[in-house]
Amino acid sequence: MDALLLAGLLAAGVRLAMSIGIAALGEMVGQRSGVLNVGVEGIMLLGAFLAALGAVSTGSPWAGLALACLGGLLLGALHGWFAIVLRADQIVSGIAIVVLGLGLSSFLFRLTMGKAPSALPAFRALDMGALSKLPIVGPVLFGQNILAYLTVVAALSLWFVMSRTPLGLAIRACGENPEAAEADGINVNAVRFGCVLFGGAMAGMGGAYLAIAQINSFVENMVVGRGFIAIACVVFGRWHPLGTLAAAVGFGLTEAAQIRLQIWYPDVPYQFFVMLPYLLAIGALVFMARTAALPRAIGRAFVSDRSL
Amino acid sequence: MIRPLVIAVIAAIAVPSGFLWLAGKPPLATWGALLAYTLGTWNGFSDVLVHAIPLTLIGIGVAVAFRAEIFNVGGDGQLICGAVLAVALAPMFGALGWTALLLFLFTGAIGGGALGGLVGWLRARFGANEIIVTIMMNYVALQLLTWVIRGPLQDPMRIFPRSYELPVAMQLPIIAAGTRLHAGLILALLAAGVMQIVMSRMAFGFRLAVLGENANAASYAGISVGRTTVTAMVLSGGFAGLAGAVEIAGVHLRLQDNFAAGFGLEAIAVALMAKLHPIAIPITALLFGIFFVGSSALQRQMSVPFPLVWIIEGVVILAFLGFGAAAARRAIRTI
Repeated sequence: MDALLLAGLLAAGVRLAMSIGIAALGEMVGQRSGVLNVGVEGIMLLGAFLAALGAVSTGSPWAGLALACLGGLLLGALHGWFAIVLRADQIVSGIAIVVLGLGLSSFLFRLTMGKAPSALPAFRALDMGALSKLPIVGPVLFGQNILAYLTVVAALSLWFVMSRTPLGLAIRACGENPEAAEADGINVNAVRFGCVLFGGAMAGMGGAYLAIAQINSFVENMVVGRGFIAIACVVFGRWHPLGTLAAAVGFGLTEAAQIRLQIWYPDVPYQFFVMLPYLLAIGALVFMARTAALPRAIGRAFVSDRSL
Repeated sequence: MIRPLVIAVIAAIAVPSGFLWLAGKPPLATWGALLAYTLGTWNGFSDVLVHAIPLTLIGIGVAVAFRAEIFNVGGDGQLICGAVLAVALAPMFGALGWTALLLFLFTGAIGGGALGGLVGWLRARFGANEIIVTIMMNYVALQLLTWVIRGPLQDPMRIFPRSYELPVAMQLPIIAAGTRLHAGLILALLAAGVMQIVMSRMAFGFRLAVLGENANAASYAGISVGRTTVTAMVLSGGFAGLAGAVEIAGVHLRLQDNFAAGFGLEAIAVALMAKLHPIAIPITALLFGIFFVGSSALQRQMSVPFPLVWIIEGVVILAFLGFGAAAARRAIRTI
């Protein structure tokens, strides 16, 4: 393959990976604390819409990102309230969040921006001068938008926090053995709520990335399964921040590759290429599931002795 | 028990009302229009029933899987798979007279059941999380549909992306003149009755429930976890596939883009609100039929954005979930 094509493929792969990666990092933290949130898809949708709305009404993509973060926090809090405080079934609550996010984003979109679609102020690829012009590594490593770099920073920080700090230890304890964590003086449900809020905010920003850094517009139901792929990335990355991000990059590359394959092989129905990332997610789950180290207390509500 | 119920009902009405108000529509009058159309006109009510038919069938399948704690979120994909297989094989049934319709519907169930069974096997054999796998399958099936109606199964005229029209022998008869209400209604009610007996009176239903309660206990009791998982998913997908064939034979008469989008998640809500009892599913399906048909009527008559239906559904699921959880907590406290 020639170098220019390769550079294009890799650069696009990294760019397409980040919305999934941001959401997956948040979901990873929530799951490690013991709370499964299958509602990522819905939160990403709301985030994508709010980002578009915020960016258009203020002219700044940063405002869009902040608004999406806020919306993600709200839906995260809703899930946390049901899963942690009410101790309701986490999977059902997550499914409700998916439906609600779809409804809120599409309904509010039609009320506000639906009639007159406008160009979105978006995050552009940074120009790092000579670095960006290097062959292959230039566009891949030095030609991304600011959010892509922040995502890598976030993954590295999460790695440090989760494996090297008391907070990370507390989070992991809540997901592995909440009874022991409580005996150690950790307020399990408070830690879990914090992690679910973080996951919600990240999912909201993952959706924002899609709307104002990748596709640069809002379309109803535009997330098309990326929220669920993000959950698969957490499994594929074995609940490790860097593994999770690497898995997301794998999906980004597949997505970038399938778009190019559609053009190179016009005789093959394009639908088969569109299927590829989804089939990859299934394959990843099948190959990883047995060896996966699922947090032991995941999905199980914790009844604190304090509340009795 | 009363207080959580009151809160749940108020929340389920108040939240969507808030969004109606945001859209500049008077909530009370809007709800009135929704009820007047769906319950007060024969056109509206028959459409509610038409919508409730696939919801009931898929909902029964959801209940079978969920009873065993297998979260089949792949109703949409299994529905498409059943419909595509049935339409693909339909030309072979042409000369069979009235049995052709039965074969057509059965083929649909096979198509959905095969996809469901595959997911069940992946979970039983490899421990692959069925929620993600079924959702991914939904997207794969959707691409399959968009391909077949532009490729191998396209109408011979090759103008529109849709399949040929189903011969009359394989169409479900209309059971109320002047409406779209078809004989699938009888099939759905029958299925609910039969599955109620299977789930509550037969060994298979018991195995599902034991598996759902505790997989370890199930295997100690001599229940094969793998086989029960696969069987549950074959049945679950089979009902969704049957719903797909019913939608083709009763409503659309051919495959086309998005011919039955979004039933899967709705059917989950339907099954949950029926507490996974098949016999109660037609009733909750009716409720969601009212939401769906009502929301499209509101869009037409009062230009209320249609996505309101998903806000209603999401809030109703949460209200129901919150009510159940609050009741369970109360039960713990009073022990």
